[in-house]
Amino acid sequence: MKVIVVFKWARNPQDALVRADGTVDWPGVKLSANDDDPVVMEIAGALAGDDEIIGLTVGDGDTAWAAARGVARTVSVTDAKTDGDSSVLGTVIAAAVRHIGEVDAVIVGDSYWDYGVVAAITGQLGWTALAGVTSASYEQGSLRVTRKIGSVSQVLEVNGPVVLAVAASRAEEIEPGMKVVLMARKKPVERITLADLGITPQPAAASRGTRFPDTLQAKILDGADPEAACAELVAALHSDGVV
Amino acid sequence: MKMNSWIIITDERRVGGMLNLVRALSGQVVAAVVGPRSLADSVAGIGFDRVLCFETAEEIPAEAYAAQLAAAAAADDAGLAVSSDIPVSRILLGAVAAKLSAVIVGSVRSMAAEGESIVISRSAAEGKVLEDIVTAGPAAVIFDGEDIDMPAAQAVPVEIIKAEDTGDALRLVETLEEESGSGLLTAERVVSVGACLISKDDLKLIEELAEAARAEIACSLPVCDDLRWLPTNRVVGHTHNQIAPTLYVAVGISGQPQHMAGVRDAKIVVAINNDPEARIFKNCNYGIVGDLYKIVPALIAAFKSAH
Repeated sequence: MKVIVVFKWARNPQDALVRADGTVDWPGVKLSANDDDPVVMEIAGALAGDDEIIGLTVGDGDTAWAAARGVARTVSVTDAKTDGDSSVLGTVIAAAVRHIGEVDAVIVGDSYWDYGVVAAITGQLGWTALAGVTSASYEQGSLRVTRKIGSVSQVLEVNGPVVLAVAASRAEEIEPGMKVVLMARKKPVERITLADLGITPQPAAASRGTRFPDTLQAKILDGADPEAACAELVAALHSDGVV
Repeated sequence: MKMNSWIIITDERRVGGMLNLVRALSGQVVAAVVGPRSLADSVAGIGFDRVLCFETAEEIPAEAYAAQLAAAAAADDAGLAVSSDIPVSRILLGAVAAKLSAVIVGSVRSMAAEGESIVISRSAAEGKVLEDIVTAGPAAVIFDGEDIDMPAAQAVPVEIIKAEDTGDALRLVETLEEESGSGLLTAERVVSVGACLISKDDLKLIEELAEAARAEIACSLPVCDDLRWLPTNRVVGHTHNQIAPTLYVAVGISGQPQHMAGVRDAKIVVAINNDPEARIFKNCNYGIVGDLYKIVPALIAAFKSAH
């Protein structure tokens, strides 16, 4: 199968700097691989077989990351905005997929960093799409995908081009070594712009900024006297009707 | 601002929360159920203006009906589409959003009308802040806020929408339930442990606490994945079990969003942690700051006295 993997399309929200006034900044923060991206690469490898895997990233994403994990060549949309407008980014990625040409599957991390982007990509492409994917296999012309809903896993058969949003349930088991990463930097990278894609996406929403939410007013007990603290806790739970 | 709101429903989770999200906006609120008739019947009496049921064929997953759902929303002049954050619903929302040329916003907690616009508040920076986004155009939002039990209302008739033939694009081959034995999903009380114990033998302390509290045992992902002390069916988090117990006692759990997403519907959360700055203390009802090796034995005794 000819496969595109979308990688490094968002910033890690853990890297956001939240100031005392509730505003958010991202000083020097680059796009990074999310928790699902390594499993995206594994599934891509399993499906592609002898066919090439094409990497797709945006902005300043480090292309060597995917090249070191099996991607034959990478396309990077260098001027794509990654400032949090999910619809715009999804539109750009979908346009880039069409620019690359006919493929059998687009695989992307089903990352909680921005579920909106995944929804936008799948909607814009208009293909069969599945999220929460945990594994996939391609045998004798049949694509079988396993996805998880709660505690239930379902095996589905898919025909036609598909978008798979992968949810990893484990960390990457073996990271590529430095030598592999250095060799990966020699793989071809096609850098394109929005003009090359023929699109000028216009945001349809505007941010008014960020603020602190009303937080739950927790009752915090000092555990210096464990017996007293626990007795107070259980009494409170009793009042709440829980115990 | 008058617009029809379409709530995409593929299971019973967060239906009340999504309905409550759009109540303040004017226009019809439509329940667009993609699934069995029984699901549509269960939401018909909680306050929707219309309930549509795209009754799915056996062995055809809901995602196969994305195009039909999107066309129907557009034909109804929907200006707002809402889904929960479960995978199936998000895919359907994406199709509707593309059809409506709607802006997509994830992690939405609340919305308000403001003249001809709507202000959408979403969680950002791992829940540390809210971002307010304003739009005058169609919007499609992924809701992950609090679920609410809606009061009973006059039931509306369920309108069955004949599902279109989806061909062979997508077919259910097999359903695999996770290994049974974990009563976590229906447990009223849960004691959960993070990667905080000195040794695996110390799990006995957690087991005693669970027994004293008459609770099921759960854990954070590292306890399963890194330490391999508990099986995967005990993991609570956004990619594993999402539970709604009456009481959730988190022992040595820092409170990362991926974990807390699994218990956002818990009634009472108790946190025990020796770090007073632990994030979980901002997301709990009660907390005890202290050494778990001292707190947990005391809590075991307190629960036993209470029972």
